[in-house]
Amino acid sequence: MSDIMKNFSVTINVWRQNSASDKGSMVSYPVNDVSPAMSFLEMLDVLNEDLIKKGDSPIVVESDCREGICGCCGLVIDGNTHGPDKNSTVCQLHMRRFKDGDVITVEPWRVKSFPVIKDLAVDRSAMENIMQAGGYVSVNTGAAPDANAVLINRADAEESMDAAACIGCGACITACPNGAAMLFTAAKISQLALLPQGHPERKERAINMVEAMDKEGFGNCTNEYECEAVCPKEIKVSNIARMNREFLIANFLSNK
Amino acid sequence: MKLNANIPEGQIDKKWTNHKFNLKLVNPSNKRKYDIIVVGTGLAGASAAASLGELGYNVKVFTIHDSPRRAHSIAAQGGINAAKNYPNDGDSIWRLFHDTVKGGDYRAREANVYRLAEISNQIIDHCAALGVPFGREYSGTLANRSFGGAQVSRTFYTRGQTGQQLLLGAYSAMMRQINTGKVEMFSRREMVELIISNGKARGIIARNRITGELETHTADAVLLCTGGYANAFFLSTNASDCNVSAAWTAYKNGALFANPCYTQIHPTCIPRSGDHQSKLTLMSESLRNDGRIWVPKKKDDDRKPSDIPEDERDYYLERRYPAFGNLVPRDIASRAAKVVVDEGRGVGPTKQAVYLDFRDAIKRKGEDAIKEAYGNLFDMYYQITDEDGYQVPMRIFPAPHYTMGGLWVDYNLMTNIPGLFALGEANFSDHGANRLGASALMQGLADGFFIIPSTIGGYLAANKFEKMDEKDKAGIEAAEKVNEKIKRLFAIKGKKTPTEFHKQLGNVMWNGCGMSRNEQDLKQALKKIPEIREEFWKDVMVPGSDGELNPTLEKALRVADYLEFAELMLKDAIERNESSGGHFREESATAEGEAKRNDADYSYVGAWQYDGEGKDPILNKEELTFENVKIAERSYK
Amino acid sequence: MNLVFLRRIITTSIGRKLIMAVTGLLLVGFVSFHLMSNLVLLNGQEAYNTYVEHLTGVPFLLFIELGLLSLFLTHILMGIYVRWEDYRNSPSGYKKRNWQGGRTIGSATMLYSAVTILIFLVYHIITFRLSDHSIGFYEMVTNAFRDPIFATIYVLGGLAMVLHLSHGVQSIFQTLGINHQKYTPFIKLGGWIIALTMAAFALLPLIFLFGLESHFMGMLH
Repeated sequence: MSDIMKNFSVTINVWRQNSASDKGSMVSYPVNDVSPAMSFLEMLDVLNEDLIKKGDSPIVVESDCREGICGCCGLVIDGNTHGPDKNSTVCQLHMRRFKDGDVITVEPWRVKSFPVIKDLAVDRSAMENIMQAGGYVSVNTGAAPDANAVLINRADAEESMDAAACIGCGACITACPNGAAMLFTAAKISQLALLPQGHPERKERAINMVEAMDKEGFGNCTNEYECEAVCPKEIKVSNIARMNREFLIANFLSNK
Repeated sequence: MKLNANIPEGQIDKKWTNHKFNLKLVNPSNKRKYDIIVVGTGLAGASAAASLGELGYNVKVFTIHDSPRRAHSIAAQGGINAAKNYPNDGDSIWRLFHDTVKGGDYRAREANVYRLAEISNQIIDHCAALGVPFGREYSGTLANRSFGGAQVSRTFYTRGQTGQQLLLGAYSAMMRQINTGKVEMFSRREMVELIISNGKARGIIARNRITGELETHTADAVLLCTGGYANAFFLSTNASDCNVSAAWTAYKNGALFANPCYTQIHPTCIPRSGDHQSKLTLMSESLRNDGRIWVPKKKDDDRKPSDIPEDERDYYLERRYPAFGNLVPRDIASRAAKVVVDEGRGVGPTKQAVYLDFRDAIKRKGEDAIKEAYGNLFDMYYQITDEDGYQVPMRIFPAPHYTMGGLWVDYNLMTNIPGLFALGEANFSDHGANRLGASALMQGLADGFFIIPSTIGGYLAANKFEKMDEKDKAGIEAAEKVNEKIKRLFAIKGKKTPTEFHKQLGNVMWNGCGMSRNEQDLKQALKKIPEIREEFWKDVMVPGSDGELNPTLEKALRVADYLEFAELMLKDAIERNESSGGHFREESATAEGEAKRNDADYSYVGAWQYDGEGKDPILNKEELTFENVKIAERSYK
Repeated sequence: MNLVFLRRIITTSIGRKLIMAVTGLLLVGFVSFHLMSNLVLLNGQEAYNTYVEHLTGVPFLLFIELGLLSLFLTHILMGIYVRWEDYRNSPSGYKKRNWQGGRTIGSATMLYSAVTILIFLVYHIITFRLSDHSIGFYEMVTNAFRDPIFATIYVLGGLAMVLHLSHGVQSIFQTLGINHQKYTPFIKLGGWIIALTMAAFALLPLIFLFGLESHFMGMLH
């Protein structure tokens, strides 16, 4: 149990980079009196408070909800995307996972499509551009029929929800050996392909979103499934297969 | 100031329809001549931007995050209410209206609440059409659950992530408008000033969080969809970027701030584990359906929970409220926990917690059934506390969660500043003194998708707008004000961090203005705030420069606003010497210690008006009248 | 004429993967056939030479061979292009990086197995296809197999095939959009079985190298 574990010290070896144009380097900081009940980000908070008091710039690390749903946070800790725990975000990682004397390497997402803004914060707007290209149903407010007018098979709704659970953190892209955004894009295409509401536009959507994804310079999928292994929301690569299917059908069997 | 809520005439169920008919319209081809600024991209902001873009207005939308999808609406778990009556259990618009007014302890405007209930059904239709994967029955129809003590099943949900899915729905609608070019997105911007010209809200100053640049954006109307202020307590379930600054800026520019003392404390949060705590995590209150809440009967009982025999446990909710037991509303459950903790019967290392025990439910239904219903919550609890809720009772404690107070708005959602609108949690309008579970999502989307598209047209069509651009005097002055403030902050070079001040403030607010309030503590807190504020402006440390991504500066700007805002919250709490909803005054209680409302003296909305630096704010009252709901005591005995 | 569907196959990531998958699938078909042909070696000189004469007597052989060549070239060139694109965006500069269990040995070594196979292929074409066939096909092949250096190269080539197809076969299905919780486990299993069958390419030279062919003689009648 946590309350019998004593406080301890670790060394944080962290990426510092002043701005997008700065070269950046790894810098080491000791952090003492770490409580095992702290979250990893709270441990960084403690370090940052010390840095501010000394008049130094704190380490910029993005996070907001700190309960694993907003998708803001994202770090590579000791080489592990989102840290060593499976199916969780960095903000859910706790210091009890480490021990006294550990040297912890902390790095930002390092994909070309996500340039570093400062320290551990990266620019993920490429993902927005994919969404903008077709991640929606084009229904105007007020035009909807009664919600029960369209029946949806429960299993389909559940499978759609499995895909919709994506938090847009970008872990799949960072973890991919090729920096591909397939799982992210597929999750949205899949969610809407599984629902009748998404059907009128499914062909345009598949083509537009895939083309937008390519335009952002993301890599190709080589079916290595590292994305699925790191996804905090356990989104499956079967969604990528569905996207491939949607795309191929749209390309060969539609007028688009 | 004379407050005019602009509530339409007529029977309550006809008001909104009549009002929409009476509002002036903007000709379809003229809509593109109007610019509208939307600040915030949560449910209210994203839905407003989307629907206004669909109508043809030019919309500029601002988010503090890198992506609009990260707004804190995303964290809502339970669901969204609507009066569909799909389960055939006697629900109706009228009942949802009635429940919301009662749940709000008769401190909300009837007309607004009725409209909210009326629109609730359209929200579900629209969200389903947007591709929100709502939970379904095997028949393919939508599933409902009962939530937050409601006696009908009217809550629609997408597992435990309803806020996320609804936000992504609204976000997708907005992304579509961004793609068409009707909505322009400004990400990583924080609103720091409001631009007022000739008495009308005409734009904002937004700080670019990456470059530090102060950008001037002008428009014909400004919509604040900037959420609540629960982070005034430092520790809350809100995300760390949630702040009061946009609303506070509006207040200091003349907008009224209504009922700031109405805060909701959620009973089932994971307790803090130490001083390092940066936020509190909420667990869905559905846990109370099967978990039993208790503390030891003895003070300072250090035994393991399993060693405490049945007759030495106090199931205090079941004891005090035999009819509702563990399912009493949020405010009552929270206060009851505070009472036992104050008696020294709290549990866990900090003694600031009570047990939520599933032992009996597991015995009755089996561990698998519990796992199926709440598995993700048990996992979350384990991840944070390293304790197995199936083996040992969970520890929970209340935490600030939602704020019912906010900018005062009329029936059109417009503040008293013409052209400045407030939507969602940022306004005060629909929940009175207490919000029912699954109603926040409903309100945010009602405001954004269905109300503002009509009411903003009425405002724009009825007014004339002079040309305005970035070089306008009003904009330059507003930016100058911010610049000075930032310079002042950098010049201090003190010894304490903004977060330290925030924690200090939070401590004062939690102890003085938390779950249970009395005049003495409130006044003591009110004395402390100016002291902290003074120290802040003498001793805060902001390293780095303005021209870069500088989280310490951002934090300092927000804390500076909280340090002013907190005073208003305390003043409102002192002024309101009655217990209503989330505001419990110990002076106004029954002999058994239950909340006692005072309708004779306090049946009003307290709308505070800024009267200049260092001066006491002026209280304006909007009397509340109840013609359709019979006022009664809220009893859950 | 609207040829956008063709353009998209070349210009989009999924289109290019489709090319890899379809050519890959056809090549798997070819090597399976090739492997069966090789196994005829075990039926002895006469059977093998008769069989090869039948094969070489097929009409339009040159066209078939050219088709095969273009299949190989497409797969190889597209593979190089896709790899180069991936390389451009692949995460780089990590001080530490761990894989999380998605990759397999086969998937992580696709590039290396591909290069090995390519080298082998060139060697194979030079030594068998473009060489002097006058001593008879059976003699040419078995003599070569009895040469330890030659056999080693063949063994390496065969093992590279195992590795390549252990990832490649199931990958074809994923790219073509065939992934289903009911069937994917079988697809993956099938992929491994096909891949392991490729070990026979490595086994044949060993059989001849160690003079064990008489033990197998007639087994395939």
